[in-house]
Amino acid sequence: MAHAHSVKRHKGLMDWLTTVDHKKIGILYLLAGAFFFGIGGIEALMIRWQLIKPLNDFVTAQQFNELITMHGTTMIFLGVMPIIFALMNAVVPLQIGARDVAFPFLNSLGFWTFLFGGILLNLSWVMGGAPDAGWTAYTPLSTVAYSGTHGVDFYTIGLQIAGLGTLIGGINFLATIITMRAPGMSFMRMPMFTWTIFITSAIILFAFPAITVGLVLLSFDRILGANFFEVGQGGSPVLWEHIFWIFGHPEVYILILPAFGVISEVIPTFARKRLFGYSSMVFATILIAFLGFMVWAHHMFTTGMGPVANALFSISTMLIAVPTGIKIFNWLFTLWGGQIRFTAANLYATGFIPTFVMGGVTGVMLAAAPADYQFHDTYFVVAHFHYVIVGGLVLGIFSGLHYWWPKMFGRILNETIGKIAFWFFIIGFHLTFFVQHFLGLLGMQRRIFTYLPNQGFDTLNLVSTVGAFLMGVGVLIFLYNVVITSMRPADAANDPWEDGRTLEWSIPSPPPEYNFKQTPLVRGIDAYWKEKMAGHTEMTPAEPVGDIHMPSASILPFVMSVGIFIAGLGFMYHYYWIVAGGLGILFVCMAIRSLYDDKGWHIHPEDQVETNRKGVKA
Amino acid sequence: MATQQDTNRGSAVRHRHRVEGPQKHVVAFIFSIVLTLIAFAAVAAGGVNSSFTIILLVVMAVLQVIIQLAYWMHMKDKGHMIPIIFMAGGFFVAFTAVITALYWVWW
Repeated sequence: MAHAHSVKRHKGLMDWLTTVDHKKIGILYLLAGAFFFGIGGIEALMIRWQLIKPLNDFVTAQQFNELITMHGTTMIFLGVMPIIFALMNAVVPLQIGARDVAFPFLNSLGFWTFLFGGILLNLSWVMGGAPDAGWTAYTPLSTVAYSGTHGVDFYTIGLQIAGLGTLIGGINFLATIITMRAPGMSFMRMPMFTWTIFITSAIILFAFPAITVGLVLLSFDRILGANFFEVGQGGSPVLWEHIFWIFGHPEVYILILPAFGVISEVIPTFARKRLFGYSSMVFATILIAFLGFMVWAHHMFTTGMGPVANALFSISTMLIAVPTGIKIFNWLFTLWGGQIRFTAANLYATGFIPTFVMGGVTGVMLAAAPADYQFHDTYFVVAHFHYVIVGGLVLGIFSGLHYWWPKMFGRILNETIGKIAFWFFIIGFHLTFFVQHFLGLLGMQRRIFTYLPNQGFDTLNLVSTVGAFLMGVGVLIFLYNVVITSMRPADAANDPWEDGRTLEWSIPSPPPEYNFKQTPLVRGIDAYWKEKMAGHTEMTPAEPVGDIHMPSASILPFVMSVGIFIAGLGFMYHYYWIVAGGLGILFVCMAIRSLYDDKGWHIHPEDQVETNRKGVKA
Repeated sequence: MATQQDTNRGSAVRHRHRVEGPQKHVVAFIFSIVLTLIAFAAVAAGGVNSSFTIILLVVMAVLQVIIQLAYWMHMKDKGHMIPIIFMAGGFFVAFTAVITALYWVWW
């Protein structure tokens, strides 16, 4: 019988390995992302320690190359993107009034392929040397001729597997947001965070195939002896740069748009005003995504593309400042006249605005092609992209984590400690990267492992290193906050900030497994706020209480990812029978998934009430 | 309530499909065959080297794709705006990448 009560519920570790619940997958993404963020952070501190004084010998030139490559790759692909996916998973289904994502099984598969890709990439440290060609892996530096270890193979295979997970996740969220919005939630009533995740997922869908192809070509060049990037055989190293940046520039919008979304949720909540210019925010988000696909060559002004191409890409790049400016002004106008509460989440959000503007201004400077010949590959570029990624994205992530922590874990992070962490982080951040603008203008190149004394670099590098360690202290304080918060009872209210505007605040913190006992009826933008203003304490239901259909937990995604991991590792070392074995595991799992008809299970109304009471007791 | 409306809309679409479907699909099918025959005939008559043949083939191919998408993949029907937007987006990106590789990297 379909309604049989004997549903197998896993416990402990097995529960986490088999879960298809988007809230738990969000927590898994957060844990894995935080782990890789820590590794990337340690690499960053080692880089800064090497550069603290001239002619330092803390690491060798080779180790330094490995550190910068792994710092960039780890932070972007394995650190911040999974944390974005954590917020996506934790929040988006709740914001649109859905009970889960469209494809819960794929959601789990996406997480495990990402994790095993990340593990594969980081195994390079203990398996004969990490990749050393920079996070961009420019050919010919990344070809066998110049990078003889297996390092770059770990890069291509590891990113390929992790990228698979990202692509799966992106498609899943597109399907979820298009098809699973609650009754009444039209596209123009979606919360801004959901909008940015929707657009981000679309960018993932269009941009990741480019890097997938690029990584296939590069691994064929390196492992199978192909010639896509070998000049002597008719290939072109510049082709790699094009492919990489056709992916790479949209990638930076994949990173920053979710941060824009977080800021667009946090600021209205803590200013107690609706978001200023909602429709222009939507328009600006779409425009940024669209323009983001036609600016990639601004990373390549100095490759000799010619004045016409350089001029066109300069203009298209500068155009992006327009929709971004719209967003900045909208946030300022949202704050204007609001009853602002400076909680830790809002501190990060308001700290984000000026910091991101600084990164944007240097972006427009870099977009000017003639000036870029001077800035190219100096610390000015390093300062610019850290301002937009750390000052933009990472501040946004911390804001979002403070904001949604009670919804994810049922506990509010300690506000005082959160604010202390914020001040350490933002002061450390500006100390680290503000001076790097001047280091770049003075002529210090990026990616050099040491420098001579008395060139004007000494003091600024020392300041930068001190700042980096202050940022490290800020992150440690945040972690301390997480630890002491997790020891407190989980007593967060449904709407712990009291001014929550969107659907996620209308249900318990953390929400029950099925999120909404009854799918809510959405009657406007900021659906929950609208009900509150109408004098209601909860959402109007759009359906009667009834059985809730749930997807079954499954270990298959985990096993499939292990199979892909084994196959990737074998391919790298030319052990093709291992590749066959790994792919065999994958195909067997796919066959099981296809042939065994899993209809899921149901939660009956009497069980729902019980679960809800447990949540409400808080 | 909402579910009820959805069901009604769904059956309405199915109904229209049943009434209008066959004639249009037969026409589309014949059109597809004719396009294919023209392409085959052009190659059989002239050989692929003439630039006229190549252009003709590309035009036939584009028309074929449009017919296939509109009729067989139901892009002409209501409720397909999102697939159309995303296919157009994918086409735009893929086209950019191919043009870049063909006419820019290897002038």
